Amino acid sequence: MKVESHSEAVGVWEGIGRRMPQKVSLFAGGLAGFLSILIGLPVVMVVLMSLRTGFPGEDVPFTLENYAYVYFTPQTYEILLNTFFFAVSSVFITLVIAVPLVWILMRTDIPFKKTIYVLLTIGILIPVFLRTIAWILLLSPRIGLLNKWLQELFALSNPPLNLYSITGMAFVQGVSFVPAAFFMLAAAYRSMDPSLEEAAYTSGVSKLKTFLKINIPITWPAIAAVMVYLFMTAIAVFEVPAIIGLPARIHVLSSLIFTSTTPSTGLPEYGMAGAYGAIMLVIGLALAFLYVRLVKQGKKYTVITGRGYRPREIALGKWKWAALGFVFLYLAIEVFIPFAVLLWASLLPYLQLPSAEAVSSLTLKHYIELPTHVGPRPFINTLILMVAVPTVTMFLSVLVSWIVIRTQVSFRGFLDTLAFIPHAVPGILMAVGLAYLGLAYRDYFPLYGTVAIIVLAHTINWIAYGTRTTNSVMIQVHRELEEAGRVSGASQPRVLGKIILPLIAAGVLNSWIWIGMLSYREVTMSLTLLTRNNIVISTVVWQFWGSGWIPQVSALGVILILFATIVVGTLRFALSRIGDIGSAS
Amino acid sequence: MKILFKRLSSFCLGLMAMLAWAGAGVAAPIDDLIAGAKKEGVIDFYGPSTLGPEGAQALAAGFNKKYGLNIKLNFNPSGNMTRDTAKIVGMSASGQPPEWDIMVVTDAHHGSLWLRKLHKPFDYASAGVNKNRIEYDTSTISVANQFALPTYNSKLVAAKDVPKKWEDLLDPKWKGKLGAINSTHHFGRLAAGPWGEEKTLDFVKKLSAQKPLLTRAGEMAQRLIIGEVLVSATLQDSQLHESQKSGAPLAFAEEVSPVISPEYHVGVLKNAPHPNVGHLFVIFMASPEVQEIWKKHTGHSSAYVPGTDAYKFAQGKQVVYMKQDQAAKVDKISRQIGKILGFN
Repeated sequence: MKVESHSEAVGVWEGIGRRMPQKVSLFAGGLAGFLSILIGLPVVMVVLMSLRTGFPGEDVPFTLENYAYVYFTPQTYEILLNTFFFAVSSVFITLVIAVPLVWILMRTDIPFKKTIYVLLTIGILIPVFLRTIAWILLLSPRIGLLNKWLQELFALSNPPLNLYSITGMAFVQGVSFVPAAFFMLAAAYRSMDPSLEEAAYTSGVSKLKTFLKINIPITWPAIAAVMVYLFMTAIAVFEVPAIIGLPARIHVLSSLIFTSTTPSTGLPEYGMAGAYGAIMLVIGLALAFLYVRLVKQGKKYTVITGRGYRPREIALGKWKWAALGFVFLYLAIEVFIPFAVLLWASLLPYLQLPSAEAVSSLTLKHYIELPTHVGPRPFINTLILMVAVPTVTMFLSVLVSWIVIRTQVSFRGFLDTLAFIPHAVPGILMAVGLAYLGLAYRDYFPLYGTVAIIVLAHTINWIAYGTRTTNSVMIQVHRELEEAGRVSGASQPRVLGKIILPLIAAGVLNSWIWIGMLSYREVTMSLTLLTRNNIVISTVVWQFWGSGWIPQVSALGVILILFATIVVGTLRFALSRIGDIGSAS
Repeated sequence: MKILFKRLSSFCLGLMAMLAWAGAGVAAPIDDLIAGAKKEGVIDFYGPSTLGPEGAQALAAGFNKKYGLNIKLNFNPSGNMTRDTAKIVGMSASGQPPEWDIMVVTDAHHGSLWLRKLHKPFDYASAGVNKNRIEYDTSTISVANQFALPTYNSKLVAAKDVPKKWEDLLDPKWKGKLGAINSTHHFGRLAAGPWGEEKTLDFVKKLSAQKPLLTRAGEMAQRLIIGEVLVSATLQDSQLHESQKSGAPLAFAEEVSPVISPEYHVGVLKNAPHPNVGHLFVIFMASPEVQEIWKKHTGHSSAYVPGTDAYKFAQGKQVVYMKQDQAAKVDKISRQIGKILGFN
């Protein structure tokens, strides 16, 4: 019976396959239509809300009032400047750390590579909020320990470092971007032809000079693409601007959009959020265009190729310890110091700077009481996100890439562009658009307040990443294999299921894990869509922070980091044959 | 003598009739509500998350016991009062009933609903509720009071430096050491009340020149505890009590006057699915037994109920309570204050 069912199923697929390519075109058209609705609706909502005053659901006429207010307020231009400087400085700090880091780990014989990879991945998983608490304790002008030490050491009258500035914000944000930049650049450095480097060394050029004169120029297109990508991310992030910027009256576009929809007094101003969002949308689209151009330009650099060479590691020799010191310094900033501060804060009855009195009051009560404060819901919801978001994203990505890379459908270019558009729409805007949709049209879109709406927001947000990954892995599967399958009489769907999917499974799984982790730590969209029913761990952290429950949130942070260490360590061990997590980017 | 007896009898009968009528005036609406509540059988209750499911069920148990009912209470803890209030406005605008029958939110949030006529009023006074506690055209009653005052780190601020009046916050010695929380309605209440708009805005501008650190209330408590901020211009007693419970060195500048008192109000929403249980529950929320439950689970009590902590705290102090005619003004000025301080 089972065999018969299977045969019937195969028969159906065969039937579909033989009616190609019309069926493929039809399927591609359906997929394009579905994606257009999925991606287009939130964007349309942002535009719609920018043209309205009042509340979602209210029948009010269209107006340009919001735009008039936004464009005629000088504060808007100050905020745009702040946003620009914050984004540029963040990207600068990221690259100053990430480029040498990726070179050291990808091109040299530095020891403890596997441990460093695991620690880098853990760095991604520490919520930025928690890291920021550590930086306040270290760099606050009033109480920052580092400031106090520097003042004592150099007999300074004023604290030399000020966290509450655009530079301070950029430092914290820039450091938190490093792991993402690392994994994005890793592929370029890993596949770099070493012959030019070796020629330089043979000619007696120093390692540093080779790095500056050879490695950086060769990988410049990849670095530029990462720069644009991070710039786009930096204008949309909310955590650091909220914790460091807002207390010091430093507003950026994302914090303004958030406070417009979640004001401290009165009711939300969705129209204003839409008008500010429109600016962000234009910037995002312009940057996406630039990003695509840079990526295309990168393909012209033929020295970056995977053909006919075996990557050789550069012996660091006496520089090994200096390189290790650099990596350790970064890991200290990214992982060790935040973890130590969190551990310290989690053991105190209330937040205190280190002292004998504080040591005498250490307690485990916050760990014991944590279940009463948190409950199972955020963990269940987070688990749903971590499974549902990568699954849906990768499922759609595989379908899109299959059409784009493996078929001759006439509008495959459009489909590819469509899948890339979410990259140009900042996450906060996507979430605001979905919230407006859920509130204003709840009869047709009854997802407001559910985990499903966050799954949707995350899926849309990462579908660009997903399709880039599946495009790159699918293009590596030679057409001969597919043609062999077709010649043997298999339909295109069968070829996809039986030949292509098994071959790209490793890359897909890699991205599945990566997207799952991004979904776990994402806070901006989850916060914008937050209600009591769809609370996730990242939003619990925000709520605890806002409620002043620092020791409790620190205890949660310590547990999460330990949990992440175990999971990431196990995954790296289990998937060591597949490749580095996130390397497909 | 007979005439006198007749007159006395008539007077007594008349008095008895009047008393009976007056008694019916209290009993009749409640009886009607109880009968209606029995048919409805359920209440969707929205309240502060600090109440917790246990507190909400304690309220339900007390309610059922008092009126001999078996009503099921669905507790909806607040995720974001501002957004949920806006959600009610939006749902009403699109002709949909609200998700909840009654809402316990701050007087300012109820003000936003009242300005849009989104309550279902009821003559709560006729059901025996103290008129002082009824607000917004008999739409809501006050459940509990918060208090807000300048708050300082008692370890780091010497007794002689503790602010004694609001203007002390403007002393240049505090520049860069102050904090201000995003509850800008605290000053909005002073503007709509004793200070007036001009004095309040002048004060806030000078306060802003002191470059206070701006955060949410809970976060401010932490910044005070670690000494990043020495004095917060205002902080609610809820944050103060919570911090004090953990042994943190926070204290109110109790000499400062007037004291600001935001209130939690409860009211039935327009087109609520279960209006009878709703109104009956609102009446119940005015009872002394609720004060005990509320105090136990949220830490707050009513300044209008003699014997409560809030009542005792308010004695002898000038306390600023917000009234319905101030709602629009508080909303408008609070936004202005938010801009001056730099919150938006």
